[in-house]
Formats: sequence, C-alpha cells, structure tokens
Amino acid sequence: MYEIKMPKFGLTMDKGHIERWLKKEGEYINKGESLLEVSSDKISNEIISPISGFLLKIWGQEGEEYPVGQTIAIVGEKQELDQANKEVSEIKSKEIHLKQDYIKTDRDISKDSRIIASPSAKRLAREHHILLSQVQGSGPGGRITSEDILSFLNHHPKDNFKVEKLSGIRKTIIERLSQSFHQAITLTNITEVDFTQLKKQTKLNQVSITTGIIFVLSKILLNLKKFNSHFENEQLKEYNIVNIGLAVDTDRGLLVPVLKNAHLLDLKNIQEKIIDLSSRARTNQLNEGELYQSTFTITNLGMMRTDLFTPILNPPEVAILGIGRIIKKPCIVDEDKIAIREMAYLSLSYDHRIIDGADAARFLGVLAQSIEDPESLLMNNKGVE
Amino acid sequence: MRNISYAEALGEAILEEMERDDTIFTYGEDVAKQGGIFGAYKSLLGKFPNRIFDTPISEEVIYGSALGAALVGMRPVVEFHFADFLFTGIQSITLQIEKIRYMTGGQGKLHLVLRGPDGVSNSAAAQHSESIETIFMHIPGIKIIIPSTPYDIKGLMKTALRSDDPIICFEHKSLYATKGEVPEEEYFIPLGKAEIKKEGKDITVVSMSRMVHESLRAAEELEKEGISLEVIDLRSLVPWDKETVIRSVQKTNRLIVAHETWRRAGWGAEIASTIQEEAFDFLDAPIARIGARNVPMPFNALMQNFVTPNKENIIIEAKKLLGR
Repeated sequence: MYEIKMPKFGLTMDKGHIERWLKKEGEYINKGESLLEVSSDKISNEIISPISGFLLKIWGQEGEEYPVGQTIAIVGEKQELDQANKEVSEIKSKEIHLKQDYIKTDRDISKDSRIIASPSAKRLAREHHILLSQVQGSGPGGRITSEDILSFLNHHPKDNFKVEKLSGIRKTIIERLSQSFHQAITLTNITEVDFTQLKKQTKLNQVSITTGIIFVLSKILLNLKKFNSHFENEQLKEYNIVNIGLAVDTDRGLLVPVLKNAHLLDLKNIQEKIIDLSSRARTNQLNEGELYQSTFTITNLGMMRTDLFTPILNPPEVAILGIGRIIKKPCIVDEDKIAIREMAYLSLSYDHRIIDGADAARFLGVLAQSIEDPESLLMNNKGVE
Repeated sequence: MRNISYAEALGEAILEEMERDDTIFTYGEDVAKQGGIFGAYKSLLGKFPNRIFDTPISEEVIYGSALGAALVGMRPVVEFHFADFLFTGIQSITLQIEKIRYMTGGQGKLHLVLRGPDGVSNSAAAQHSESIETIFMHIPGIKIIIPSTPYDIKGLMKTALRSDDPIICFEHKSLYATKGEVPEEEYFIPLGKAEIKKEGKDITVVSMSRMVHESLRAAEELEKEGISLEVIDLRSLVPWDKETVIRSVQKTNRLIVAHETWRRAGWGAEIASTIQEEAFDFLDAPIARIGARNVPMPFNALMQNFVTPNKENIIIEAKKLLGR
C-alpha cells in the first residue's frame, strides 16, 4: 500500500490545488501513468504514480487545496482496501484539509432529515441546481412536486452567471497585482517611437521585433541599473544581470516566464529562447524555476491592435515596458518632408517611489533613440559566452 | 358525418370484409337468427346465409373448429356470446390458438378473430359480467383490441380481418347501442395506436372500453374544479401504445390507469410498472390504479355498482394524487 501525497514543486510551495483526477477510484494504474493534475500558485503539473496498483481511495477532492505532504490518495492491491479505508478514516480524524467555500449538497442535508420529493421534482432540481431543502412541498404529505420546483424557479430566477472556482494561477495573479497596485506608486510615461529601422534590421536578421526590442533593452538596462532592480523590504537591489520577464497570454491566465541573462544573448539566441518559453507557457510545460527572478518585464499587446496602455508593475520589479501596435503613419522627417514610417507607442510604467519622472523620461528617451537608430547596437550583435 | 351505432359499425366492418374476402365466415350462439344476444349482428340479419350461422352451445367445438378452419386458410370470426364463456373453451385458445404460429416456427398463418361482449350490465351477476382481457394479455400469442366507439370498432375490426395473427376483440355490452360518427369511406385503425381523447395537463388517465367514457365524464367534472385530465384510450391492449402514454406522463407527471376488470393484478399494474420503469424521473405522484373490487360480480344492483368502478372513483383518485 502506497500513500500518494501532495507534492512540493518549488521551495516556496506550501500547499497545492487539485485541478482534476485523471483516474477513478478502483481503477488499475501502471507505474509512470498520470494520476492527477495539481497546481501550485505558479504552475500546474501532472502527478505520476510511483507504483503500479489499484487506486484504492481518493481522499483529495477536485478544486480543493491541501498542504504539501498531505495524503491525497492510496494505491495498493485490492485486498488492502479495508486497510486503506481505515487509513482514510484516520486521516479524516486529524483533518487538516483546507476547506474552501464548500457547498452543501442535498445528500448532506438529507442525512439528517429525509426530504420527500417526487422523482420528477428531484430530476428538475438536479437539472436546475436547486436544493430541495429550499423548496416548499405542496403535494400530499408535503411532497415536493415538479410544479413546486417550477414555481420556485419562477420566484427565484435562475442565476445568469456561474460561479467559477479560481485556479491557483489566477489566485497568484490576484495576489501579485493587488500587492503591486496597493504598494507601488505607479506612473506611466509614453512616447511614440519610429520602428522603421529596427523592423528593417530584425527582418534582415530573421528575428521578431520583440527579439529586437529585448536585445536593445537589455543593453540599456545594464547601464541604467535603477530600472533593472527589485524593491523589497525597504531595500533596493540593482542587478548586474538582465532577466527579462515576458508576459504571455495563456488559456489558464497570464504567465510571466523569464528569459535569463538576456544581456549575454545574441538576436538568434533570444529569438529561440523566447519562442521556447512562450510556447511551453501555453502548453503548461514550464518548470517552476523558469517563472522566477525577472528583473524587468515587457508586455506586448500590439499584435492584438492595442496602441496604448498603462502596464502595472510585476513586483518586486520597479519598471515594466508596454509595447503597442506598430502601424504605418505619415511622419514629418528631415527638412519637413512627409514620409511613411512604422510607428508605435512605448509605455514605461515605473514605481515613482524609486524612480523620478525625469529619470523615467531619460530612460524612455534613450530606449526610443536606440530603437530608431539601432545600428550601433546591432553592429555588436553577439552574445557573450 | 353520419351517426351510427357501435353494433352497426361492427356489422359494417364484417360485411365489407366478407364482400371482399370469401374466406371470411362468422358463427356463434344466437348470431344468425337472433343477431347476437346484445344485437351486435342485427345489421347482418339475412345476409350471407351460408357464411353467417348459429352453433350449438359448445364452446370447445366453437373455438376448436375455428382453429381448424384457420389452419386450412379460412378466416373465421367467432362470437363468444359472453366473455365469461371463453373459460369453457379456454384450452383451444390458450394452448392451441395462442401457440400454433410459434410452435410451427411461423410456417403457418392463423387469421382468426374471436369477438364478443364483456363487462357489467344490469344484474347479469358473477358469470355474465366479467372483463377478462388481462388473462389474454398475460398469456403470449394473441392480440387484443377493445374499441370504445363506433368509429374505433369499425377501423380496428377491419384491420383485424386482414391480419395474419389471432386477435380477440372485447366489446362492452353497454356500448352496442351507443352512437358516434363513422365516415362512409373506408378506413383502418392500426393496432398499438392509442388515441388522446382529451388533452389535459395535470393527470394522465389511461383507460379502455366503457371506462374511457367514465374518464371523459370525470374530466368534465374536474375541469370545473380546475383539475385538467388528459384521457388516453389505448384501443388495443396487445400491443399497447407505450410511447403515447410516456409522452403524456412526461407532460402531466401523474398517471391513473382505470379499467373495469379487477384491480388486483389487472392490466393497469402492467402499465403502471412499465411507466415507473421508463418514466420514473417524470412522476410527481405514485401511479394510481382503478379497477373492480376483488370479488365476483354481485347480482344485487346496489352491490354491483359498489364493486364496479366509474367516474366517481376517477374523481376521488385524481384529487388524492393532487393532494386536494
């Protein structure tokens, strides 16, 4: 008999959220087969059975959170079922299960007192998610009939919404954004930048614009270290390395995988790594470590035709860059000529407690200039090995 | 449309089919000279003297000879005088007529119609008042039609006279004189097709024969009290129209099965059982069964009425189901 316990994915993980069971109680599983999906506040993973046997008991419920190390299931031989039951009742007696908005069902209620309802009423109640205990029966002996359910529905119009349980990832997003919003004093500086040159250069090098921006940005961040820092516990840490957080839109919510040591990478390396990180973020295959330790974050909504937005900080970072849509516009260039240029807005949000407005303006100015005239930087397009 | 009686409609069906098919002949006790004890054959008096004739009082011979005639390809139509007398020749029916197609592996057809009166009439007492259709429903091998109107008996009888299976037809004594609309042009009613006689929303009442009319009367009275019955006439019992009943119960969520035969193990129990199996999730109340009290029919008129179900029983059950 083997107890499956809530695993620990990373150093900071103290509880896990059971997303769903991939096997049913009583089913036979082979060693190495996936048993369930667990998410921490960072990541979700499939948990693999370490042994072969019957899934005798499932104790951990889908949608609930359990502390790391808590037994959530028992795998063993069929004849060990009694023992498994005993084991489970022991776990129950010293329950440390973190119950959350647990919804009482009719079954729980009818344990105490039987509700008399017709089969038709029961079916309707099931279909409309109504608790029979809330309905007054009008039939003989107080039996709840289908008419009672229908009139209940008339008087209690069905909710036109469905309560969604928050995923672990969404909870993290809420926690971190609230922290950012309530602690930092965020301001945003915006400028319109000519991307024509950068676009030309990145096209020549067969990389994306984002890759080009990261390349240029990393070089600048090495010089303007205040923007490449963490502010935590009254302490400002300015980093000598540049780890770029990339905001990635996934089915499960916003994820920010981290491109480590971006300042050491050439265009091709950056391109390969960001493609790999964002695609694994979308397929839920990132490692816990790949979600930590960014020093500066970029977020790009241009491809979804947002021109201008005010990003919010990714704490404990002190600055974040938002990239808007690149679009061709008539511009006035040297000697009052009108030319078609590829323009986009850059929004730099920063923690005003750490960074003054003029500093931010200077940073944005340098960045804009480097993008508009990237050649000097790109000439040195090489990674530092 | 013209109005004719139940007996006339029956006579028309037999006459039309006899004119079309010369293998059809009909006989029984007091049919040719008298026109049937309740006048079922009054309209056939003097017609087809060789193919409509009287027999001695011997049910064994009557049913046994019908079996033999059917086996050699004739289409006998036998009147059983009183349904009660089916018992006096029962072995020909249950052991032979109901089994022969099966036991010959379906090699032979057996077109044969047994028909005659059943049910309660004025103080006919225990041996002349029975409704025994459930017994033939229980033993496999024969189809059962129980028409409640002139229109139905003509349409069902014509279908029966062209069928390859043995068929038994029960005609309630009280119905022969009742009149109803029957079209001049030819029509047929398929077996196993119920008719919704009245639509309603609160309770489905499934019945046949005389009890269809009792149900309609009950429905009319209950309508005044705001209770709406849906009345279904099954018209044939084997096969019976399960789909129509289930559809109705899905709408009304309540079911009463009302028949004149005894309540205990009457065919209402079969209907009730099937509906709870197949439409359990649509029921708002237990299924109510209405039938005769479990005694032989008394001679005393007061007692006869006490034992026999009628519209009052339906009204009482309906109110009970609704908690009124």
